[in-house]
Amino acid sequence: MKSMLVSIALFIAVGTVPSLSAKTTLEFWQFWTDSDIRPVLDSLVTVFEAEQNGEIEVNITDLTWADGQSKIAIAFASGRGPDVVELGSDWLAQFADTDQLLPISELVGADTSGWRGWSLARYQDELYAWPWILGSRVMFVNVNLLQQAYPDAEAPNPATFAGFQEITRKIHTLGDEIYGWGSNTAEKHRLYKKFLPFLWGNAGRILSEPSPYAPRRYSVVSSEMAIEALDFYRQLHDSVGYVDTQRGIEDAFMAGQVGIVLSGDWMIKRINLNPPPFLVGTMFVPGGRVPGISFLGGELLAINRKSRYTDEALEFVRFLNRPDVQVAFCKAAFISVPSSLAAVTDSFFVSQPMMRTMNGQMQRVTHPPVTPDWPKIEAAIERAVEEALFGSRFIAGELRQAQRTIDSLIADD
Amino acid sequence: MTQRWRSLALLSPWLLTLALFWLFPIGWSIYLSLTDYQLFRDPSFIGIANYLALLRDSDFLGALENTFVFVLGTIPVTTVIALALALLLQHPFRGRTLFRAGFFLPWLTSIVVVALIFTNLFARGGYLATLASLLGFTPPEYGFLFDDRTALFAIMGMDVWMSVGYYMLIFLAGLEAIPRELYDAATVQGASWWRRFRSITLPLLRPVLGYILVINTIKSFQVFTEIFVMTKGKFDTATIVFFIYEQALTTDFSFGYASAAAYLLFLIIGLVSLLPFLAFARQRRSLW
Amino acid sequence: MVTTLFRYGLLGLVLMITIFPMLWMLRVALLPKGLPLTAETLLSVTVTGANVLALLDSDGLVRPFFNSLVVGGGVTIGNILFGFMCAYALSRYRLIENRFILFTVLAVLFVPVHIVIIPLYLLAVESGLYDTYGALILPFLVNPIGIFLVKQYLDGIPTAMEEAARVDGASEFRILFQIVMPMARPALVVLAIQVFFTNWNSFLFPFILTSRSDLHTLPVALAMIQGRQGIEWPELMAGATLAVVPVLVVFVILQRHIVSGITAGAIKQ
Repeated sequence: MKSMLVSIALFIAVGTVPSLSAKTTLEFWQFWTDSDIRPVLDSLVTVFEAEQNGEIEVNITDLTWADGQSKIAIAFASGRGPDVVELGSDWLAQFADTDQLLPISELVGADTSGWRGWSLARYQDELYAWPWILGSRVMFVNVNLLQQAYPDAEAPNPATFAGFQEITRKIHTLGDEIYGWGSNTAEKHRLYKKFLPFLWGNAGRILSEPSPYAPRRYSVVSSEMAIEALDFYRQLHDSVGYVDTQRGIEDAFMAGQVGIVLSGDWMIKRINLNPPPFLVGTMFVPGGRVPGISFLGGELLAINRKSRYTDEALEFVRFLNRPDVQVAFCKAAFISVPSSLAAVTDSFFVSQPMMRTMNGQMQRVTHPPVTPDWPKIEAAIERAVEEALFGSRFIAGELRQAQRTIDSLIADD
Repeated sequence: MTQRWRSLALLSPWLLTLALFWLFPIGWSIYLSLTDYQLFRDPSFIGIANYLALLRDSDFLGALENTFVFVLGTIPVTTVIALALALLLQHPFRGRTLFRAGFFLPWLTSIVVVALIFTNLFARGGYLATLASLLGFTPPEYGFLFDDRTALFAIMGMDVWMSVGYYMLIFLAGLEAIPRELYDAATVQGASWWRRFRSITLPLLRPVLGYILVINTIKSFQVFTEIFVMTKGKFDTATIVFFIYEQALTTDFSFGYASAAAYLLFLIIGLVSLLPFLAFARQRRSLW
Repeated sequence: MVTTLFRYGLLGLVLMITIFPMLWMLRVALLPKGLPLTAETLLSVTVTGANVLALLDSDGLVRPFFNSLVVGGGVTIGNILFGFMCAYALSRYRLIENRFILFTVLAVLFVPVHIVIIPLYLLAVESGLYDTYGALILPFLVNPIGIFLVKQYLDGIPTAMEEAARVDGASEFRILFQIVMPMARPALVVLAIQVFFTNWNSFLFPFILTSRSDLHTLPVALAMIQGRQGIEWPELMAGATLAVVPVLVVFVILQRHIVSGITAGAIKQ
């Protein structure tokens, strides 16, 4: 009993010893915990500390993908957030909307031209973070199956919906155990990401573009283009789809069972580390009414508005976004899409065909609207797609219901 | 020293823990349940509006239903199997330690790891789908976790698998407290095994059985990690604590609303764990 | 003979069911990284100890292992002592306030942790417990589940021995620790097993209440292994297997002690 009290007192004492050195310690919370990546981050931080002549020290806290967001929310809600935090792009609006993050438009000024992905970090005409590591999705193709499907004839243009469908259909007919296309089951946070490129590639949108005539945005997710896109997506799913989780689809692809899958740069890493016994090619996502547009997401670096060391935090973020540092980090983590435009010219990204596709696709990408309502909008869209594929199968009706839900969500603001 | 002071002294570790670590967080969240608090914003008092809104919230009611299915479906099965295994493993025989360890092994493994393993076993083309086809059933096309009809039951099955060993262990400890002499006397009088079980084992196990029912009730009403790892609440598997987690820490940080859900759950668990107490109330010793 | 066969058959069947997923874990742990987890891969003869050896080599799990041991051990010792004291009071002193105290023991369990985690975080930060072993040990030194377990167990034990000792003039301290405690041994062993493994496997509190990587417990370290780029199954399962083996040994040793502490004379009234 007594010992418990003593230890409590002891811990309190230890916790409140004032720091004597003039050194500034930055708290940096991040998600790169993989055993091959984290040591590289450590070594980069050491370089940063040396460059700052040891006046700034960086403490890294690891967050897990599954629970990291909760920890960030808990810490910020208690007013104890870290100085610099890595945020997934779909979380930014929630933190920006409630003034948790330092607005940086003035700090950045005209300094944005060397990097891409700024629109992910812009909320209500203000920037709240730096784009750091970006990510897109491209089509991965089993080239052996493709050649089997088209031994002598030229394959149709895979960049159009019609050509894409034809190719997947032809591959699908190669055998009972061969599927044309990897189609996602209703996995949360995954299914909608697969549908959106088809929506965008058919000139569909989630929200209207504000115009002088209609300054308020409204949902257009049940437009004719959207209905067409979902119909096309469902046709792929029904006729040539291998339906499984994202992981299951990728496993089946690696096992040579699926002709084409839509995936991100983790797949490039996987293929490089464990090459499958067939040739893998990559290509841009197909388009219907307009040329294909893929999904853009990414990791942002934000500074806590309550941080006492914003200048030092700024230094650190600038360091992490320096082209040479981004190249070093991407090489270690096998990432294809750094935010720095100077970094992308490095031979690491140029020499690999798959990474070239990924960066080429970056010319034609877009992302979901940056709004704190996004989690609920996402759920409404995902629900519509899920019902259209697995449930009621009523495309127009489900999209109309999603549109009503989204309109009522954004009308509350 | 009077009995009252002696009792307080013995209980002081708990009272201190309660005061230092639990009183403030619980009081704070009860207060928040009466406000419209969203994380990062100032709360304002709104009385019991959250509670009333919850009773009309179809997501909450759906989660409530799933939770009740989970509780009613797992507890009886787990308890009966655990008791049967404990009875089989009570007396020494060759290989007993192996069986005890084997049955307890699932509980030793981190629940996240267990959930990940079963995600694979339940998957499309996974072992359980193959087993089902061999037995003549048609497994769900995209795997057990991706079908409204099977997802919750698959998770319940995993939960029984995981917790049986733990409750078996508690039953084993409970069986040790029953004096051997009682059985000897009954056997001499020619009582059958069933008779001995009914008249000696069950009545004397009552406190331990009460513990098991109450604790399993609490744990099952709060089932979360399995859902979070395996289905994220899809396919009719969202439970109340999953609902609370989503409301409080992901979708819109509605902490006040989530707190109200938590204290509705508190009331439900309180009432339900009273049931075994009432059922045994006629007996000599009270359960609590 | 027939009953023996029947018993082994039944137990063997249940054992197969309980052990199969564990064998799956072991199988995957011994696979090379990056292979798709298809039936062919799992049934193939490919076996490698590389994942296990890499984890042992990198020291990545050594510190988490030690941390889990410290936290689990500290909490267990505290609970055996404090849990027993509280349980004894609640079982034997039928005072009006003890009914209420028992209610608080259970009521704390009724509250889902997600709802109290923010104030608990704040409490840890303000008290300086954040990022110390204290944050992982002190709030859990007296586990309400443990109190309730031992209390229920004591309820089932006759009080004859204690009363006899009291008549003989034994001190309350002596009665508590030399007479009742040995009788409660099976429950205390279960309590120890339960508290130790609950803490060994607990993720949420260690993850929320610490930042420094040298305070990661095993489950936190295992969650970190998963990384962001999809789960490396063989690596994760290797880590999980390494985490289970030592505690299984501990369990095998401890479970032997779930034997009656009540001597024959105790119940002859």
